[in-house]
Amino acid sequence: MTTPRVGERTGRIGDSTARPDGTPKVTGAFAFSSDLYLTGMLWGVTVRAPHPRAEIHGVDVGPALAVRGVAAALTAEDVPGRAVYGLDVPDQPVLARDTVRYQGEPVALVAADHPETARRAAAEVAVDYTVLEPLTDPRRALDDGSPQLHPGGNLVRHVPIRRGDPQPTAEVVVTGEYTVGMQDQAFLGPESGLAVPAADGGVDLYIATQWLHVDRDQVAAALGLAPELVRLHLSGVGGAFGAREDLSMQIHACLLALRTGRPVKMVYSREESFFGHVHRHPAILRYEHGATREGRLVYVKAEILLDGGAYASTSQAVAGNAATHAAGPYEVPNAHVDVYALYTNNPPCGAMRGFGAVQACFGYESQMDRLAAACGLDPAEIRIRNAMREGSAAITGQVLDFPAPVAELVRRVRDRPLPPQRSTDLRAMPGGVGGTTHGEDVVRGVGYGVSIKNVCFSEGFDDFATARVRLEVTGGEPVATVFTAACEVGQGLVTVQEQVVRTELGVDRVMIAPADTSVGGAGSSSASRQTYMTTGAVRAACAKVRDRLAGRDPASLGDEVIDATVEWRHRPTSPLDPVTGQGFAHVQYAFAAHRAVVDVDLGLGLVKVVELATAQDVGKAVNPLAVAGQIHGGSAQGLGLALMEEIQVRDGEIVNPSFTDYLIPTVLDMPPMSLDVLELADPNAPYGVRGVGEPPTISSTPAIVAAVRAATGRNLNRVPVRPEHITAEGLSVEAGR
Amino acid sequence: MDVPSKGTAGGAQRTAARPPARTDVTVSVNGAVERIKVDNRASLLDVLRERLGLTGAKKGCDHGQCGACTVLLDGRRVNACLILAVTVDQAEVVTVEGLTDGTRLHPLQAAFIERDAFQCGYCTPGQLCSAVGMLAEAAKGRASAVTADLADDAPVLDEAEIRERMSGNLCRCGAYPNIVAAIGEVAG
Amino acid sequence: MRPFTFVRAIDADQAVAGYAREPEWAMYLGGGTNLVDLMRLGVAEPGLLIDVTRLPYDRVEEAPGGGLRIGAAVRNSDLAADPAVRRDYPVLAAALLAGASGQLRNQATVGGNLLQRTRCGYFQDVTKPCNKRRSGSGCPAVEGDHRNLAILGHSEHCVATHPSDMAVALTALGATVHVRGRAGERIVPMPGLHRLPGDEPDRDTVLDPGDLITAVELPPLELAARSRYRKVRERASFAFALVSVAAALDAEDGAVRDCRIALGGVAHVPWRAEAAEEELRGGPATDDAFRAAADAELAAARPLRDNGYKVPLARELIVRTLAELRDGTGADASGGTP
Repeated sequence: MTTPRVGERTGRIGDSTARPDGTPKVTGAFAFSSDLYLTGMLWGVTVRAPHPRAEIHGVDVGPALAVRGVAAALTAEDVPGRAVYGLDVPDQPVLARDTVRYQGEPVALVAADHPETARRAAAEVAVDYTVLEPLTDPRRALDDGSPQLHPGGNLVRHVPIRRGDPQPTAEVVVTGEYTVGMQDQAFLGPESGLAVPAADGGVDLYIATQWLHVDRDQVAAALGLAPELVRLHLSGVGGAFGAREDLSMQIHACLLALRTGRPVKMVYSREESFFGHVHRHPAILRYEHGATREGRLVYVKAEILLDGGAYASTSQAVAGNAATHAAGPYEVPNAHVDVYALYTNNPPCGAMRGFGAVQACFGYESQMDRLAAACGLDPAEIRIRNAMREGSAAITGQVLDFPAPVAELVRRVRDRPLPPQRSTDLRAMPGGVGGTTHGEDVVRGVGYGVSIKNVCFSEGFDDFATARVRLEVTGGEPVATVFTAACEVGQGLVTVQEQVVRTELGVDRVMIAPADTSVGGAGSSSASRQTYMTTGAVRAACAKVRDRLAGRDPASLGDEVIDATVEWRHRPTSPLDPVTGQGFAHVQYAFAAHRAVVDVDLGLGLVKVVELATAQDVGKAVNPLAVAGQIHGGSAQGLGLALMEEIQVRDGEIVNPSFTDYLIPTVLDMPPMSLDVLELADPNAPYGVRGVGEPPTISSTPAIVAAVRAATGRNLNRVPVRPEHITAEGLSVEAGR
Repeated sequence: MDVPSKGTAGGAQRTAARPPARTDVTVSVNGAVERIKVDNRASLLDVLRERLGLTGAKKGCDHGQCGACTVLLDGRRVNACLILAVTVDQAEVVTVEGLTDGTRLHPLQAAFIERDAFQCGYCTPGQLCSAVGMLAEAAKGRASAVTADLADDAPVLDEAEIRERMSGNLCRCGAYPNIVAAIGEVAG
Repeated sequence: MRPFTFVRAIDADQAVAGYAREPEWAMYLGGGTNLVDLMRLGVAEPGLLIDVTRLPYDRVEEAPGGGLRIGAAVRNSDLAADPAVRRDYPVLAAALLAGASGQLRNQATVGGNLLQRTRCGYFQDVTKPCNKRRSGSGCPAVEGDHRNLAILGHSEHCVATHPSDMAVALTALGATVHVRGRAGERIVPMPGLHRLPGDEPDRDTVLDPGDLITAVELPPLELAARSRYRKVRERASFAFALVSVAAALDAEDGAVRDCRIALGGVAHVPWRAEAAEEELRGGPATDDAFRAAADAELAAARPLRDNGYKVPLARELIVRTLAELRDGTGADASGGTP
């Protein structure tokens, strides 16, 4: 299924179904948030702090207000409601009042009749700063002498996991320290939104987001308005990958709209986008693995530092994930894990595809390879020997009560035929397009990576999704309409909703109403959860409709309208024990395996990923076409982290906020992929589905790095791997940054 | 912000204050002749999007680094974000909206749907315009960086050629395998 | 972006005269792929923009004394597609095709590409000091982020690199640049157009304000038919060079009769490797000799804290490119479709 296409069938569960938003997306008619326009609207611009740490003694918006065309200029004094927001911890000022904690922090807002005017006026806002020495090294965050960035100190969360023997010993012990650089979601459509003041004193916000209701609640709190007066409408989302789970300009646009009484549009530039959303946590991971001579894991010890940057965002949950996934998809009887998420003056970090599991996976998979070498085992074999299966207990004590075909996934990628040893096509060489080698110094390597990822929200979070389904006869035909607040971010959620309704009601004409907050919450399009959750909710609503239909042919409804709403929950989870980290924390786990084949040019340090073979259990492929897309895309982002992607932060300042200097993979970097999709139903999930989006992002990175290590013999303890980490003479600079 | 500003002076040479100047431009856009007065500073992309209501071309970076704004200018693919609208007087512009023949999709548009060659769709208009321009370049026998023999005036448009020639269009959803398949299908 | 007056010149005299009327604020506009970007960043703030793309310099034609005369307004993609360039100067076609993206090559002009400004992040960020942007303001790159920057010929005032691929090939080929200035026509050789930073890093080239590039001329150069461009970058395509090499070699019976070598991504200028050429001419065409020549050139390298990796990269790339030219591998040996 490497070149999937739309199937011939009828668009039900399991069919490769074309997207209903496909035609608008290929004709340019699809309205992304940045495409919205209203007559008389103003343009909003954010004034951001240039320093990573500073005191603010005053903000003078007078000069900005004096610019012709400016309608408003606002500061922290103008926030009528709660002055702070945050997904887990409300610690982030809507606008900085007296303290700046990261470079790019919003300090003031300007609205004007033209974006250029607004930008020029924003530059006139005078802010009186006292610049302070920033805290930029997370290893120093808890030192006595370090500045306390928040009232409660610099520790966002410590997650300990203690399982089994506290003093375990083993015949074979391997240790390692690993580093993961700061990755950006780098969606192609920068943050944008349009706020429209309403006659009732409220506001309508058209926004590209992942989670309408939690945005609404935070916006309403800041505006001091009742939630029902703040109505959010999903507009076209140009990619998300976690970066739209947190707020960007949502509150800002609404503040300006309510102040001016006019619609206000805000669009971030690419550069601003690098400052305007949270990133993937950089991590320092110290691991010790103990095993028997036969390679059976005896214990895992890990200490993981996550640099959360200036504000908490989702750092607490990311830390929980890094901890609970710290040993990977392997059975290990003894575990001693400490994960610390820390405040620094670096850019704030939060959700990105893989969410804590990415960092851990680079650590534990690197360790598994070291262990394989120490035991004289094949890397695939050591993974198979220790693989979790149904009935295994995780290091949290949670027993896997669903299929967990980890060994099978590894076998499948291992047993795929390898690509031809040496292509005769020079273009297939590392740096091929640059003509940099004709085979000189090129060595091949093969590596494996296996991921485990929780699906849905965890640790006792009351996670639910709401769906309303209306069935009626229109134009002589039965038509079903689905209303949810679930965010289509490109993953194909609207397609899935149609498929569920067609399957459940046998109705071919299905409409998906625009997502907004007029229905109950759907939760976030994140954590690989939205297909799971909204499929569950829509199916349950369809069942209710079917009950009321009582066996009648939908076409015979006449004027009757059947309308049913369901708030659907997955099974409950529980918090981790704060001392031992034990508990039934996760709804479901998903697994993927990658085998990477790379050619490396030893002389130049260039890597060509020759092939990625993947195997993933998806429970049920609701839309096989979309499943393939998720696996392709996740793998590409993992490749980016392995070989090129890093936000470079120096003294708290981002030095590469552009697509020239923050490189993401091009189509030429993307190797041929083979996909092996297993469908072992999870009995707890609707249709047996298992989240798809994140696992391939997690395992492709360590697989590629392992392959580069196999080819070069280098340690490569840091991602992304740079040419100078591979070339012999460049080794001296490997320690840098 | 745009940019965090420490309040230092801007570029190498600051200009004397001048009033914004505007210039009359006549340009054919998707077959319709438009006569508009444009701010000299406006990019072709901004004029298409803000003045002509053609929001198909997207602003992904505004620096020529992503390809989302790709349109056809006199039949050649270009980044509309780096072209001043004032320079396209008397030119012909085709955007993604102009690829459709009435209600009939361009074969590339149909292939993109058929192959699911996008997810969020933000890069798609640029991918499509770029592919149209790229196929025309290849039909003229133009070489690419992966063409084995630069003197070959009839390079075969295989997968490596398609990939290199499309590498100016980033897709963060990673729909690349399907994009290559869709274009390959149309390229024959 | 600051407001500016826009005029379209129809001939060189008009362009040069227009410039002369407002020399403080005027700039010529070619394809704009670099200048418009710099204007948006606030790095360039012209008050008068003179569009020179419709000047009659859009042809590639045989030069009077042999060789090739390339109009300054020829688009990069058209130059790369020119049959004579592909046949007689493949290094130039390859360098062009290795640069930027298909879209940018369609727009960028030869003249503009030569005058492309550095990609150094401090230069592009107007909130930072930069001697190239504001003389005397300082160079944060020396101690800061300079992994991509120069290893050769830099000064304490500036460690920027020249970003063009095309200019590296032209430097190897010994192209000449035809310039129209207030005092009339003159010819500037390459190397020689671009200058090292010294204590005046704000000056990229030897051109005077108002000088207009009208053409680039390639000398007849038989050995250029055997020439290659190799470029190391951090992703497979659409990225600037970490290091690149343009080279041509005439070797017979195991001896080097003549050669041309230039390096990109290593200096404030496209770096003609004259020491290496000198070392090679008349000597054996062996790998060891190639290595010795590369070492002779790179003996002058003064890498910064984080860009020492470029030295072995450049050495390796020089040796490989020369070996390829000697052995005739490359185009002929490549397999095409696998």
